[in-house]
Amino acid sequence: MSREPLLPALLFWAALALLPLAAPSWLTGQLAQHLCYGLLAMSLAYLWGQGGLLSFCQALFFGVGAYAYALVGLGKLPLLPASPLLGLGLALLLPTLLALALGLLLVTARVPTGPAWAVLTLVLGVIGERLAVASPFLGGSNGLAGLPPLALPLPGGAFELLDPVPTFLVLLGVTAAVQLGLALKIASPAGSLLRAVREDALRAAHLGIDPVAVRLRAFALAAALAGLGGGLFAAQFGFVAPPLLGLGLSTEALVWVAVGGRGSPLAALAGALLVKTVEGLLGEWLGAGWPLALGLLLLLVVLLFPQGVFGGLLARLARPVRP
Amino acid sequence: MPVDPVLLLDALAQALTLFLVASGLAVTFGLVGVINLAHGELLLAGAYTALAVERAGLGYWAGLALAPLVVGLLGFLLDLLVIRRLRERPLDTLLATWAAALVVRQTVVALFGPASHTIQPPIPGSVVLLGAPYPVHRLLVMGLALLVAALLAWLLFATRLGLMIRGAIADRTLAAVSGLAVRRLEALAFAFGAGLAGLAGAATAPLLSVDPQMGLGFLLPAFLAVLVAPGGGPAGTAIGAALVGGGESLVAAFASPVLAQLAVLAGAVVLLRRVAGRRAGRER
Repeated sequence: MSREPLLPALLFWAALALLPLAAPSWLTGQLAQHLCYGLLAMSLAYLWGQGGLLSFCQALFFGVGAYAYALVGLGKLPLLPASPLLGLGLALLLPTLLALALGLLLVTARVPTGPAWAVLTLVLGVIGERLAVASPFLGGSNGLAGLPPLALPLPGGAFELLDPVPTFLVLLGVTAAVQLGLALKIASPAGSLLRAVREDALRAAHLGIDPVAVRLRAFALAAALAGLGGGLFAAQFGFVAPPLLGLGLSTEALVWVAVGGRGSPLAALAGALLVKTVEGLLGEWLGAGWPLALGLLLLLVVLLFPQGVFGGLLARLARPVRP
Repeated sequence: MPVDPVLLLDALAQALTLFLVASGLAVTFGLVGVINLAHGELLLAGAYTALAVERAGLGYWAGLALAPLVVGLLGFLLDLLVIRRLRERPLDTLLATWAAALVVRQTVVALFGPASHTIQPPIPGSVVLLGAPYPVHRLLVMGLALLVAALLAWLLFATRLGLMIRGAIADRTLAAVSGLAVRRLEALAFAFGAGLAGLAGAATAPLLSVDPQMGLGFLLPAFLAVLVAPGGGPAGTAIGAALVGGGESLVAAFASPVLAQLAVLAGAVVLLRRVAGRRAGRER
């Protein structure tokens, strides 16, 4: 899908913005956290759906963002003051730089973007998690706790995001801005270039497009968005640990995106919210059966609904009246 | 510095064990062209089959014999229900086999619990080899790996079935129009590769702690071994397994295990990048 229909997105965000009026505050707080996962889902949908780059390590960038926020928030980095806002900035910057470095290793013209690329991302995810577990500076397998919440510098003094409703509204604003920005990006010439490279890199190269640069940009953008999600998650959760960048979360993100729809970031975001909400409702009841249900869900969606549940709906809405 | 001969023996054991695991993967990757991310979980299923058979009081050998059959059947079902339906969508195959892996792993957790189990080796104790005691079962696994290598070489290069399989690997379409039942061959190869994974799981189970995560631990090294292997045959797989498995155990002995894993993974990324580039160049 090249163009995201605007109306469903606006309706979606309006409905979500009104939710705190009706929902209990614990649900609002939970949804605020799920919006961070939504950022991760959107970044993966952009990379995979638009760029054709299936990544098994997208949570690596989410986790690096979370750790960046934690390190700055706790003042563990030299030369940087302990500042949550600065931490959030680093949560954007560090994953982007990491993606550029890894991208030079991976996204070169010589590595085909098919299965071998996906296996390489799997390896990178495992390396990242092992490094985090082995590093005493990052708190090893215990992670880092006691992170400060995000503080907004308002005219009347800094406003700490502790209560669920303001946190949710700020998160909603950020996520909506990212979603609308991605929709514009997808509809722009840059989006067309990315899809052209996805469809046939060799042909795109013959038309004067540099496939390496296009893929590298997509990889870096997706990493930045995932990192932003990670930083915001750490700010709310107050705690980071190696599972945040591991294979488990990367796999979960794939489930959200596959269930929602890889073709559209909005559909992927809705998939994340849906799966996480169902997990909140049924997870305790199913217990150890939940990961099993998640695996079966992914299997069924891949086999039966390759466009995803919401992706199929959106594609129907976006279809022009006259072909 | 004199090198401890036991160390070299350990490296050899590691490489041969990895060969046992990777050979099944090489069969499915070579013939069916599918990167099966559920391969580690097929190994897991083999180990737990051995565990279940031993608990049923039938002993270890019955489990070792039964594991390839049970897991071969599992692989046959996986091919029939999942992989067959996604022929035209290779990336989705990856995703679907990953999902299947999750399903198998969590089924094992549901049936046997998340804790780790141990299986006693059938012949306990050790023999003195190169001046040091060495566990018998490890030698047994090494022998089994060599047996599998010989069997694979015989099957591929000395039988009519092997000729057909090599034909299908070389050119699937040409083999199909020449009258080979390529789909049936693929189903057979997939079940056979899964059976090898099951055998590897049951064989290595007494050497390791049997827990739901053991498949994942083997999946990546086995993949790297297959992907860096020169050529698709058993000989190539053996070289890949020697590079990855032997390298890892040697670095682990001289430095630290964590560093060894990282070094092997990083080395494989670099190597793989070159191999993948070469393959892409050949396809063009």
